[in-house]
Amino acid sequence: MGSVVQLSSPEQEKRMQETTDMALFVHTSKEAIDGWNREKIVDALVRETYVDRDTADAISLEVEQQVLSSGIKMLTAPLIRELVDAKLIERGLEQARMMHTRLGVPLYDAEQMIMHPNKENANVPHGPEATNLTLAEGIKKEYALLNVFTQDVGEAHMRGDIHLHDLGFIDRPYCSGQSLEYLKKFGLNLPNSLAMAKPAKHPEVLLAHMVKFAAALQSNFAGAIGWDAVNLFFAPYLVDLSDREVKQLAQMLIFEFSQQAVARGGQAIFSDINLYWEVPKHFEDVPAIGPGGTYTGKTYAEYEKDAQRFVWLLFDVFKEGDASGRPFFFPKPLVHITEKFFKTPGHEKFLNHICDVAADKGNTYFVFDRGSTAKISECCRLSFKLEQSDLEDAKEPWKMRYSALQNVTLNLPRIAYRSGKDNTRLFENITEMMKITADAHSKKREFILRLLSNEKSGPLNLLTMKLDGTPYLRMHRCTYLIGMVGLNELIQYHIGQEMHESHEATKFGLEVIAHMKLVSDKLSRKYGMRFVLEQTPAESTAYRFAKLDIQYYPEEATEIVKGDLKRNEIYYTNSTLYNVGASMNPIERTRLEGRFHPIIEAGAITHIWLGESKPSKESLANFVTKTFRYTKNDQIAFSPEFTACKECGKVSRGLHEKCSYCGSEDVDGITRITGYFTRVSSWNKGKLGELKDRYRNQGQFKKQGVS
Amino acid sequence: MENIPPIKGFIETSFLDWPGKVCSVFFLPYCNFRCPFCHNHVLVTAAESLDSIPLDTVLDRIRSMREWIDGVCISGGEPTIHPGLLEMIKVIRAEGFKIKLDTNGTQPETLRYLIMEKLVDEIAMDVKGPLDEISYAACAGVSVPIELIRKSINLLLENRVPYTFRTTVVPSLLPEDKIYEMAEQLRGATGLTLQNFNPADPMDPALKVVAPYSEEKLKEIQESVDEIIKDHNRMIAESAETGLR
Repeated sequence: MGSVVQLSSPEQEKRMQETTDMALFVHTSKEAIDGWNREKIVDALVRETYVDRDTADAISLEVEQQVLSSGIKMLTAPLIRELVDAKLIERGLEQARMMHTRLGVPLYDAEQMIMHPNKENANVPHGPEATNLTLAEGIKKEYALLNVFTQDVGEAHMRGDIHLHDLGFIDRPYCSGQSLEYLKKFGLNLPNSLAMAKPAKHPEVLLAHMVKFAAALQSNFAGAIGWDAVNLFFAPYLVDLSDREVKQLAQMLIFEFSQQAVARGGQAIFSDINLYWEVPKHFEDVPAIGPGGTYTGKTYAEYEKDAQRFVWLLFDVFKEGDASGRPFFFPKPLVHITEKFFKTPGHEKFLNHICDVAADKGNTYFVFDRGSTAKISECCRLSFKLEQSDLEDAKEPWKMRYSALQNVTLNLPRIAYRSGKDNTRLFENITEMMKITADAHSKKREFILRLLSNEKSGPLNLLTMKLDGTPYLRMHRCTYLIGMVGLNELIQYHIGQEMHESHEATKFGLEVIAHMKLVSDKLSRKYGMRFVLEQTPAESTAYRFAKLDIQYYPEEATEIVKGDLKRNEIYYTNSTLYNVGASMNPIERTRLEGRFHPIIEAGAITHIWLGESKPSKESLANFVTKTFRYTKNDQIAFSPEFTACKECGKVSRGLHEKCSYCGSEDVDGITRITGYFTRVSSWNKGKLGELKDRYRNQGQFKKQGVS
Repeated sequence: MENIPPIKGFIETSFLDWPGKVCSVFFLPYCNFRCPFCHNHVLVTAAESLDSIPLDTVLDRIRSMREWIDGVCISGGEPTIHPGLLEMIKVIRAEGFKIKLDTNGTQPETLRYLIMEKLVDEIAMDVKGPLDEISYAACAGVSVPIELIRKSINLLLENRVPYTFRTTVVPSLLPEDKIYEMAEQLRGATGLTLQNFNPADPMDPALKVVAPYSEEKLKEIQESVDEIIKDHNRMIAESAETGLR
């Protein structure tokens, strides 16, 4: 790129539009500029903006004059563009300037990105692929804010009133949940790939298809890729396999997904596998698809035994951990606990088994489907409640494909700061902010529809494939997520108490969320889109909002933000959770947080931080059963902490500064950041602040004189 | 009520102090041992620095979680050195909670009374080391009349109440062969649970530099211990096997 590139001819230009190889450098000498063509400026202005040719011509002359008189030695294309933009501003052509603007990053930033790890998402390792991802995300983010959303929305995001998640993935839907049946029935037949594969005849091949497809989906979605009832849908392939062979398959599945950090941006696929001990009611009478994509002549109810064998062995593998005994970060196993679960023989033993994994490694997510609810879960906590039409689709499970198109999160504490402790204003301001959110969603929808409209020749061609007659992405079943951060801090500012401090505070919290639910239902009717509340995982949003509030609302926010302000390790409490540091025992936390869960349709979770302690599996099973029976809690997970030594490779329980085996200080902590496990060294400052505060069910020992 | 021992620490919900149960844990102060690896040593040597939590207060707390809390684990310190322990247990039982007692086994008569009167539902006894005065003193930090320990062990072996024997394993105090010696001495027991030593904050700071056994190693030793105890049991009765893992 160091050589001089001539500004291009029309043919070259056509080529340039299709490639990324742009003319960048122009040499200047005293009197002339090599390869300079003033007309290029005129053409660009006319093509890209509403500026008329005469004005464009005048601007180009002025810029030419400026360049010649400035003595610039090396003129770059970005500089020319900026000079032109300055002229547009002088003429008051602000809108034209925006249209003519250039996206990209300063040299310094590029250097930083190439040299230093990305801390916004702990699931992105550091490497050339990750740098590409970050750079591309940066440009797409700018593009989205300038070109997809309205100015109001863009500004609300930049100010930190709201957070538009995954802006760098503006040209993809947010997350995706699907069924293995799609692959079993249609094989791996992707629009972009050169080779087509028929439906798998062997379990290993089905697994290969699953992994490849997950990677393909990761390229087309911003976030999580979830799979429904994985153990059940594998079952018809396992009938003739020995336990050893099934265990081998379980091991392959888990290692494949946990070592996929070679895919997009060097990022592991955020993958969820939904698992059942029983055959879920809605699949009982469904004809099973077996090897070769043909019906086996049996229903899924008849595969209970093999499905159970597989799920048991999957948890054997989770229990063992990786080669050095560390927990697997992905795939995340979500076990559905239902009424039928408790009626299915062997459930006590199985519950102990998965609680053993929860106590030892922490992997297990317990998803509670009470009454007749059925869910498919993915992402950090997102789940889709199955409606009547879905239960119809369940008869042909390959149809069960779900997506949330986008996630937008409200900065709740800021709404409180702006409302001056006045109830009416508070609720009005929430409504207003949700309207902006709905507008953001409708723009994203329009944009995605535009990308989809080109079908096979469009960028999202994978999502338009119609192997079963309808496009892979079923737009009519898409949801639009409205998340929240810092309910606890909203309440704290507004009424002067945090949610764990009084019943009134909790009650007020419930009112706020119920109001949000009401508004989201109204907006759904108005826009004809499904807006649903979600507990935002807020890995970096909780930090970003807190930082911006300290900047814009220092008077209000200083006393409210959590964490260590001096070290800039500040954060807001995630979603509707209670203060992570409040000494609430797991029963209280599960019970109280669970009161919010029925209002939060897209899924919610309570985290129980175990810290160093290793509980008895039977006690956890006891607790899980009581949570199902006595609360409305949607989902719980237990999070232990580990220290992995880089010297001796051993893993010990708890977060320590030194390896307890060899004494080395070259250690890294491992625990859940939000909805998944990662290395603590990759965390952002906000989450580090939260980690220090987390209440780990320590006992109460009060030193005298200390309140 | 004034006889009731002070509560110096309280875990509202524990998943590890009573396997299989969701329980609360009450910590009582003081101990007649000075185990160098003790991680609760504030309770032992500086209990005065901790506020006492009134029994009523903790009972109020756990009453609100009645359907969740299966019982109360009384731990310490050493609970059995408090004469008011019996009264405390009676008050808690009257609320409908089951009782598990953690003890070092130095008060066999108290244990016998609690068992015979059906005042406890489970007992966990720490066996500190092989049953000879020298080994025991090294592990317990004081000299211990070994007969008392034997009496308590034999009492539990009568199987009138579910029990567990536990040992905290510090490699420098308990090399492998000593652990197996203990397993031999606990013939007829339903098991001996080994717990890994945590060097973070032991009573004797000198132990901070002692590396604990790795998880795998400890698991390996545990398996050998299980084998030894199982062999004894096989000789005693088939029925005892039901309590084994």
